[in-house]
Formats: sequence, C-alpha cells, structure tokens
Amino acid sequence: MKTSWCCTLSTLLALTASACGSKGDAGTRVADDKLVLGASLSATGALAREGALTREGYELCAEVINAKGGVPVGGKKLKVEVRFQDDTSKPDTAGQLVERFNDQGVKLILGPYGSATTEAAAAVVERNGQLMTDSAGADDKIFEKNYKRTFAVLSPATQYVTSMVLALHELAEPRPKRLAFISADDGFSKTATRAGIAKARALGFEVVGEEYVPSGTSDVSSALTKIKPEKPDVIFSSAHFVEAVAVVKQSHELGLDKVGFAETIAPPTADFVTSLGAAAEGVLGSTQWTDAMSGSDKWFGSAKDYAATFAAAHKGRPPAYHNAQATAACLALALAVEAAGTTDPTKVRDELAKLDAQTFFGPIKFNAQGMNVVKPMSVIQVQGGKPVAVWPKEAAAAKLKWPPRG
Amino acid sequence: MSQFLQATLYGLLQGCMLGLVATGFSLVWGVMHVVNLSHGAFVLIGAYVALTLHQALGLDPFVGMLPAALVLFALGYGLQRGLVNLVINAPIFITLLLTFGLELLFVNALMVLFSADYRSIPTGYAERSLVLPLDVRLPIGRLIAALASVAITVGMGYLMRRTRTGLTILATGMDRGAARLMGISARHTYALTFGVAAALAGAAGAAVGAVSTFSPADAGRFTLFSFVAAVLGGLGNTSGALLGGLLLGLAESWGGQLLPGTLINAVAFGMLVLVLAIRPQGLVGKAYYASRVEV
Repeated sequence: MKTSWCCTLSTLLALTASACGSKGDAGTRVADDKLVLGASLSATGALAREGALTREGYELCAEVINAKGGVPVGGKKLKVEVRFQDDTSKPDTAGQLVERFNDQGVKLILGPYGSATTEAAAAVVERNGQLMTDSAGADDKIFEKNYKRTFAVLSPATQYVTSMVLALHELAEPRPKRLAFISADDGFSKTATRAGIAKARALGFEVVGEEYVPSGTSDVSSALTKIKPEKPDVIFSSAHFVEAVAVVKQSHELGLDKVGFAETIAPPTADFVTSLGAAAEGVLGSTQWTDAMSGSDKWFGSAKDYAATFAAAHKGRPPAYHNAQATAACLALALAVEAAGTTDPTKVRDELAKLDAQTFFGPIKFNAQGMNVVKPMSVIQVQGGKPVAVWPKEAAAAKLKWPPRG
Repeated sequence: MSQFLQATLYGLLQGCMLGLVATGFSLVWGVMHVVNLSHGAFVLIGAYVALTLHQALGLDPFVGMLPAALVLFALGYGLQRGLVNLVINAPIFITLLLTFGLELLFVNALMVLFSADYRSIPTGYAERSLVLPLDVRLPIGRLIAALASVAITVGMGYLMRRTRTGLTILATGMDRGAARLMGISARHTYALTFGVAAALAGAAGAAVGAVSTFSPADAGRFTLFSFVAAVLGGLGNTSGALLGGLLLGLAESWGGQLLPGTLINAVAFGMLVLVLAIRPQGLVGKAYYASRVEV
C-alpha cells in the first residue's frame, strides 16, 4: 500500500511540475547566423488567450521574414528565431525569464502580453542592457520611468477611451449628452479612463458616473446599479474581456438596454459577438489596428496584405489586432537590426530611436520615452455581428450607426 | 430605495448561485476532511459539458445541468476511488497537493480542448428581466439559476438526512471506524460523496455558463468562492453552504453600493475574518471536529 502511495504521489508531483513549469531548457549561446529574439509570453494563466494571439503574431513575423531570405545584416542574411517561454501571466516570472534570456546571451527581446508583465520585463531589460520592442504594454506608467531600451509600437493607453469619445463627438447624431465611465482597477484601464473623462469634459459632454471595478470580475452589477439613476446616454468601459461582456450582459439584466456602449479592447474580438449574441450589436470598441489601416512595408505589404498572409497561415481566420501588434513589434526590431547592420543591442537601440517607418501597422516613430505617438487608434462598431471600422473617417469601412439600437 | 432593493435582489440571486457552487466543496471537506482545490475545475468542466451539448444538440444550459451533473458524478466517483482514496489517511497537505495538481491538470486539459477563449452559453432569454415595482429588475436567467440552486441544495439536505445513502455518508463523516463496524463500506461512501460533490459542481457550472462568462483560468476563482462560502456557512452542511453563498452575495452587493467598487473583495474577506473570529464553526456549523474520531 505504502509503495503504491509513493508511486502515485511521485507521478503526480512530476505531472504537477510539468504543468507548472515549461520554463525551458538551459541556454545555449546565440549562433551568429541567426537573429535570435527572446519572448516571455503568457501560455498559461489569466492572459493565456491574449498570450497565444501574441505568439501567433511573433511566429508569423519570423515565418514571413525567413521565407524572404532573412534580415540583411552586414552582408549576411540572418534567419529570425523566436524563443518562447511561459511567464504564466505573472509579472515576476516575466522579469525572471528576461533575466534568463540575458544569461543565455539573448539580448533582443519581444515584449510579453499586458502592461504589468511588460513593466516588469522593461526594468530587467534596462538593467541588463538588453533591448525590447513592446507589443502589448500600453500603460503610460511604463514610459514615465524614462527607460531608454523599451520601445512600444502600439498607441498609448490614453488613446483607448479618448478615441471613442472623439468618434462620438464627430460622428454621433443625435449627439449623446450624458456619459458614464466604468473602469477595471488596473493601471492601464485607469489611465485610459481618466484620459477619456478629461477629453469628454473638454468637449462639453456631461460626465454622470465614474466607477471602478476589480480587474477580472464577472460581476459589475454594483457599478451599474449606481450609474442607472443618473440615466446615462452612453456607458464607456475601459476593461478586459470579462468585465466588458459583464457590462453589456448585466446592463440588459438591469434595464439599461437603451443606452449605447463603448468598450475598449473586447468588441473587436470574435469572442465578444459569440458571447453576447444580439446584445453585441452596435457596441463601439477601440482597436490598435484594422485591415483598413493605411501604410505598407517591404516585408508584409499593406494592412490588407498582412490580413491575407495571416489568414492563409491560419486556415482562413482573420488576424486580431493582438496578432498585428505583435508582428509589428517584431518588424520594428528587424528594421532596426537591418539599419544598424549588427545585432549589438546598443547600436540597434540607437536605430530604433531614429526609426520613422510606414508599415502595415501604420506609422512607427518613437518619442523620447519610447512611445509610438504618431499612430492613430481606430474605433470599430459591431454591425451585423462583425466589427467594422467607423473612425477615423479616412480609415472607415462603414458609417457609424447611431443610436446603436434605434 | 430602488437602488438598495435592486442591489439586495441581485446579491441574493448571485448568492444562491455561489451557494450551489460551494455545496459540494463543503460536503467533501466536512465528510472526508479533504480541501478539494480542484473543485473550481469541476465547476468549469460542468460549464464546458453544457456548452458542448448546447453547440452539438442545441440543449438549453439549464437543462444541461443534468447531463453535466451525471458526467461529473462519474468523474468524481472514479477520481476518488482510484486516486484520492490512496492518500485519504495522509496529512492534509498531501491531499491539498494532490487536488492542486489535479486542478492544474484539468485546467490545462480544458485549455488544450477548448482553448483559453472566454465562452458563455447564449439562451436568448437569460438576459431579459421582469420589471418589479420601483423599476427593480429581476433577471430571468439568474432567477432560474437561483431557484435551481435552492431546490438542489434543499433537496440534497433532505436526501442526506432521510435516505439510507445520505445517512451512510453522514455516519462515515462523523466516525469512519464506527461506520465500518456497522457494515458501511467507507471506500464506496467516500467515492459517492466525492461524486455527488462533483455533480453539484457540474450543475453549478452549467448555470454559471448561462448567465456569465467562463474560461479555464477561472477555476481558482470558483475554488476561492467555494472556500469562503463554505467556511462562512459551516462545513459538511448543505444549507450552511447556501447560507454562506447568500451572505457572500449580499456582502458584495451591499459593499459595492456603500464603498468604492474596488473594495468589494475586501468586504467579502473582511466578513470571513469576522465570522472566523466570532463563530469559528461557521454560521450553522456544529463544533464538528471536536466530536470527530480519527481511525
């Protein structure tokens, strides 16, 4: 009996360790004929879904560049190799993994998914003299530290809610008056909400509610119950997928079904429509990228070309903006390595700081803090069960439907 | 006033569902002295069973509670008989480790099978609500989930006290040695308990799927809710878990009205600390372990 206990326990321990672990093999040094990039991503944990999308974007970048021969560097063409590790969606682990990449001689890093993990990774990158292109950490807090070695290709957090306020200001007829704001309580969401509220007030909207809910909660009924007596015309929510779905679902449950909804990152995803069904119709969302974006580059062509390449590699599935921003981060690094003619992180860093490129992801040009301030956000609206770009006007695929359920 | 009534109603509905989530957890802890950290994963497996049946056969998720419960009963029974039973006499940290490992395995298996995407089971009617006086809304989906939760929990309480099998479970929980001397097979009874607990979790999962969103990463959250509700109500007692769930639902709902929304979790856990300090056996629990004889 005792022996069988021991056997079972040791088997379980081994299985548990393999489930927890996947921290990868002890490193080999970086080969000269390859452009090795390290990526600490969420394969498990709360951000596993977005982590998987980011990984697809990085993988597509490597596939496309390698299919075209590789990045030209000092007379040679280097094939891109991305090494992935699982940070289990935890900032501490992300920092440790970037540290381990450094020990293995991997100096060029592709960012993790999410602001908290990116912030932890950025601190390590700066200390070790590595270099990171950030694909999904948009919180302005990351950039307020004036790091010199982290560059984000995506628009900053302040644009997420602001862009939707601007879209309603420019396009909504009749113009809504009373706006309420619900925000998750993480740094990124709060930064986005506060910037949106400031913009709304500056444009003459009346802000009738500002509520914060725990990040990741599937119950936002308390915030909605408080907002309901204020009779808002539009409820903005700066939140992740779960909270965003809960806002729409529970608003319907609580009789707030006549208001408009403007939510940041959830509405552009296919899951949003699947989860909400007809209730998703008319909801606005902000996105880093749509395939209507202008600009093109030599590796991926235009936004439409990128969408086609991605779909071809993924059984016809169109790319999410997470995929595109990941590919763009990898692309920015490849462009800088090519311009520097070396993989030396300091020289590549100097080229990244000077980069001024038109790409499938839109313009990429960094300010002194490493933020891509020239790229606009797009606003989409769910119409006929699909997210379509409605703002800015020059990159719109359809007209804003307003009132959304009128 | 309307706001307060709305918050109270919503808290009660949410609480009933939390009660059903927690009942199985409380049963296993009370009877077998096992803190089942894989309970949240059972809830999710139930949700995915209901989702699969909905996608394949168009089965309503509330009807799906039954097949979800059956699948989970079989899983729970087999798991206890073949695995948990091997360490049932070991110190509690061994069972903690085992169930933690199982949770990781189940969550990762769900991720492989269904991906980490968030899902929900749309019904078309669950988000509609009945309009009560003072513009208070009674959401239909949550009402059905709450009524089912109360019916199942109360029914379980009745079965535990009025049927031979129920009494066998209670007797084994109180004194395993004496129960064996009376001819009760402890192995079978424990497996039955674990199976029933998993079935309750599965049924709760199907209901959760109908009114909310879920992904494999939510397993820990459901285990935590179960832990708090079970301890608040008192262990090994089905009505205790329901009461604990109701208290948790109300605390979150009222707390959300009176305090900034981000402090909701603090209110719930503050209450847990308070109950543990004043009445450690929970609201309706008995001084259980004092009378328990370990053999």
